[in-house]
Parts: sequence; structure tokens; C-alpha cells
Amino acid sequence: MRIERYDMIVIGAGPAGLSAAIEAAKCGIKPIVFDENARPGGQLFKQIHKFFGSKEHKAKMRGFNIGKELLEEAEKAGVKVVLGATVTGLFDGKEVTVRIGDTIKHVQGDSILVATGASENMVNFDGWTLPGVIGAGAAQTMMNLHHVKPGDRILMLGTGNVGLVVSYQLMQAGCEVVALVDAAPRVGGYGVHASKVARCGVPFYLSHTILRAEGDDHVTGVVIGEVGPGWKVIPGTEKHFDVDTICLAVGLSPMAQLLSMAGCQMNDTKGGYVPVIDEDGMTSIDGVFSAGDVTGIEEASSAMIEGRISGLAVAHYLGYIDDAEKQQRIEEQEKALDALRQGMFAPQNRGKKIEKTEEGIPVSENLLDKGYIADDEIARYPGVTHKKGIHPVIECTQNIPCNPCQDACKFGCISIGDNITSLPVVTEDSQCTGCGMCVASCSGQAIFLVEEDVEPGYGEVTMPYEFLPLPKKGDCGVALGRDGKVVCDAEVTKIRSAKAFDHTNLLTIKVPNDMLMKARFFKSQE
Amino acid sequence: MKRIKNHPILGETPERKVVHFTFDGKDMTGYEGEPIAAALKAAGVMVHRYTAKRHEPRGIFCAIGRCTDCVMIVNGKPNIRTCITPLEEGTDVKTQYGVSAERNQ
Repeated sequence: MRIERYDMIVIGAGPAGLSAAIEAAKCGIKPIVFDENARPGGQLFKQIHKFFGSKEHKAKMRGFNIGKELLEEAEKAGVKVVLGATVTGLFDGKEVTVRIGDTIKHVQGDSILVATGASENMVNFDGWTLPGVIGAGAAQTMMNLHHVKPGDRILMLGTGNVGLVVSYQLMQAGCEVVALVDAAPRVGGYGVHASKVARCGVPFYLSHTILRAEGDDHVTGVVIGEVGPGWKVIPGTEKHFDVDTICLAVGLSPMAQLLSMAGCQMNDTKGGYVPVIDEDGMTSIDGVFSAGDVTGIEEASSAMIEGRISGLAVAHYLGYIDDAEKQQRIEEQEKALDALRQGMFAPQNRGKKIEKTEEGIPVSENLLDKGYIADDEIARYPGVTHKKGIHPVIECTQNIPCNPCQDACKFGCISIGDNITSLPVVTEDSQCTGCGMCVASCSGQAIFLVEEDVEPGYGEVTMPYEFLPLPKKGDCGVALGRDGKVVCDAEVTKIRSAKAFDHTNLLTIKVPNDMLMKARFFKSQE
Repeated sequence: MKRIKNHPILGETPERKVVHFTFDGKDMTGYEGEPIAAALKAAGVMVHRYTAKRHEPRGIFCAIGRCTDCVMIVNGKPNIRTCITPLEEGTDVKTQYGVSAERNQ
């Protein structure tokens, strides 16, 4: 039997695996990356929203564009990626078996990095196996990769970031989302993601679960009910929706089977069955490393940094860089990773109820209960100011690691400071020109431009708009509030699209002055 | 219409080559290289197979080749994951009953 040998074998060509291979290759290693899929990049190419973070994390870039950059970087670094290659075993002596087509190959590495990512969790209810019940990942794959709508009328289960982001993407693809449902009493994901779905008019049902999917051969409806004490559904609270698709976004689990079979020391955590790793990502087996979601679920942004750290650690392990270089280069990466792990949604805060922001401002209870900030809650945040001329209104109310808005404004209107989880502050004596760069730069679509008295009694609201068809100047319709309900009539006065906005259009509507702090979405009247 | 022609972020869907295939003997069209499951979805086909014991319908579930719910008989071969198998000109796709193309086995 012939065994091929490599410096470094990487399992998984997602954000973590590719980043590790790139960093190692830059140190002189010749890594080989195996991935079972037909395309590299993992889930990045399905992520069409703008990412959070700061510049060093590629914030405000859309996931698929980050994926493209990563592939170019990998090619430049000389990383060899083998696709359609399923690693079926990891054995003593750092040997792996890879299935490619109908053959099994044995490959040995001086080092191995397992970056197999995660798989979706499922829940079962009556009818959950019916065609039309799909994972949220399946929805993303169908619409964002294959350009096919997953369904026409969809109910989403799960209000974590995946459930929220995919709901929004479903609407962008032209599907109707009838409701977001979560058994938990509070919205799990970022408030800004919830708000952009809620203001389109999608109702949130927290403390609700799916009782059954209806249909004989495929889904034709769904029944949900309110969850009471002991996670039992309260009789009489059932609600029916006509839907053709039920989408499940109930969390992810690390795919650590290879590490477990290899005999790595494992840890059974709340977040899944994960390998025990040291700060460089090395498992309990010498020379076997692990990075990304397989070591615990986080974001793609953190997976990329973890990958880079492991790539450098592998380079050090194999003697390609010395102690000093390793320490210096890893330190930079760890600083970036640490920044992403701050704020209300940081791993150490999972499951905790946070009452106040870092600034000491009470969080919006309504945002957690219903997905939107109530009119009487909004004024207490530092990005929400009132003045005569045009100015930004930043409805960013939770401490999340994100700061592109601060750099977007060339006129110094917006300040976050060095702590990237701080809420953005609109500075008092700023000179807003209405350029709209902040509106387009906000990954959470939480920035609006407001101007009073553009004409007697009427003002203008400018909002981010990422749907088709794009309204035109002069179009009449209605303005919707943060809760998605009609607040008043509205007329489109301006629509701006620019390359720098990266497909976030700036839609300006005219509404009565007293509606300027209420109107947050526009619906054309046909 | 299930096909997305224009998308606010991804833009216009690129032109692809139309290919002909059969589903349970019926002529259908799809795009070359797209997953068989995507072509079926676009054509409104929801049921890919029926389970062996209880004859329950199954369709697309994970769409990335993990769950095996979407397997069908493709060019005479059963248990083909249609969500990750590219469509070609003349692909013959059949509903799978248990592991067979026949309803009563």
C-alpha cells in the first residue's frame, strides 16, 4: 500500500481550514486541504449579509466576498485543495483515509488540522419528516447558491442569528416569511438582525413552539402553540398558518467525530461535544490541531482567526518559525479574536440575561420579546439624537463587537471609541452632510438619516433598502414602524445606489414631521 | 415561479445551459451542473422518495449531502444524494420506494 506524505493535512476547506492552510503556507509549509464538497469556502458563500466586527475582521464585507478573498489568498499562497474528498478516518501516526470517488487513499501528515465545522441541530414534532420541513442551511444553499426559492410561504423556527439572518434572506429572495417562532422567552440573536425582519411586518412568537406540520405528501400548513411551565403547550393557544415550508434554525453542533475516533480527549459541553485544545489549537494528540466551529460554535469571523492561529502553531510545531516569531504573530491574531469575543453575545455570556448595556442603559425589553424596539424605549440610546438639520439616528442598542460606522463618517459625526462593543454615539456639534455612508456601512441596518422640515410640516427619513423591486422616486406607499405596522402615508423622494454602498440602497421617504422617529420601512402601494 | 432571476444582493442569475432530464418518465428541463434536487425543486417536485417500512414521503432536508433524505434512483442507481449530484443532459431520475424504483417492494 502506498501512503502519500504531507507536511500538513487540513480537513475542511471552510473559513478555519483555509485560513490555517494559508498562514502555514506563508511560512513555507506545503499543506494539503481535503473537503468533501464540490466547492471550497464552507458556508461563507451562502452568507450574503454584511459581517460584523472591525476592519481587521473584514467587517461590512458580505460573507461571500470574504470567501472570494480567502480563495484568492489561498491560491496565491500555493495551498492545494482537493474537493470531493471525504476524510473517513483519523488514525495513529497521523494517518487519514480519504475517499475520492470510488477509491480510498491513505495519507500521512507530519501535522493534522481538523476544521470540519458544524452541522445543524434538529427538533422533531408531528410531521417533521414531511417534504417542506428543511434546515435553515438548506434554505440558504438553495436560494443563495442555486438561485431557487426554498418555498413561497415560510415559517421559521429559531430566533438565533441564523434564524434571523436566514429569514431576512428569504424575503430578499422573494419569499414570504409568515412568522418567527422560538420556544425561548427571548430573541436569541442580535437585536439589529431581529429589527430588520420585524419592521418588514414579520410577527415574532417567543415562548412558542411547533405542534405539528400539516400535509399528506408535503407541508401545507403548520400549527404552533404557546409554551407554558414544564415546556408544555398551553391548551387553547394553538395558531395555524398556511405555509409550504417550515425552516428549522435551532442551533449547530460541532462535527468532532474524527477527533473523537482518533482518541482525542473530548469535553461534553453545553455547546456540544468538543476536543480539548490548548491555546494554539493543539488537541491531546501531539501534532493534531483543531480550529473553527468544530472546537465550539462561533462566527465565521472568529473561525478565520482561530485558523490563522493554528496555522502559525503548526508552522512552529514543524520548525518553520521560531518561538519569538510565533509569539509575536499569534499575539496579533489573539488581539483580533479577543475583540470579537466581547459584548453581550460573547461566549461567556451565553444564556445570561443582561439587564443593562455597558453604558448602564436598560436594554430594550421589547426587542427581546417581540423583535423590535418600542417607540418609548428608543430615545435613551446615545446614537439617537434630536436636532434640526439632517443627522444620523443610530438604533444600535446592544453591545456587540462592531464599529464600521465610526470609520464610515468622514465628518466625525459618529464615535465608538477604542472599545468596539460600545454603543455608537452621535456627537453633538457634528456636521452631517447626509452622504449616507454610515447607513450603508451598518451591517445591522440600524442607521437612519432624519431631517425635519424639508417642507412645511414634512421631513425625510433615509433608510437602508435591500429588496427588489427597488422603489422609484415619486412612488407612493406607506411607512411602517419598527413593529412593521403602518404608521402613515409616505412618498419616495430619493433613491441612491453606489458601488461604495455594496448593494445597500439608500431609500429616502417624505413623512410628516411627527412620524420621523417612527417610520423605519417603506412599502409601495400597488 | 421558484427560480430567482434577479436578486438584490447577488444580482442577475447568470445564464446557464438548459438540459433535458426525466423524472419518473416525464420530460423536464433544468440547468447543467445544478444539483438534481434544485431542478426538481424549481419544477415543484417535493417528494423524492418513500421510506421502506412506513411508506412515508421524504424530500430535501439539509441540501448539503449530510442527511440522505433526498436520495433517489439516478440513472438506475439507488440512494443517490440528489442535493449534491449535478444534473446532466439526459439524467434519468426516479422516485425511490425503499431502495427500489418499484412501489410494491
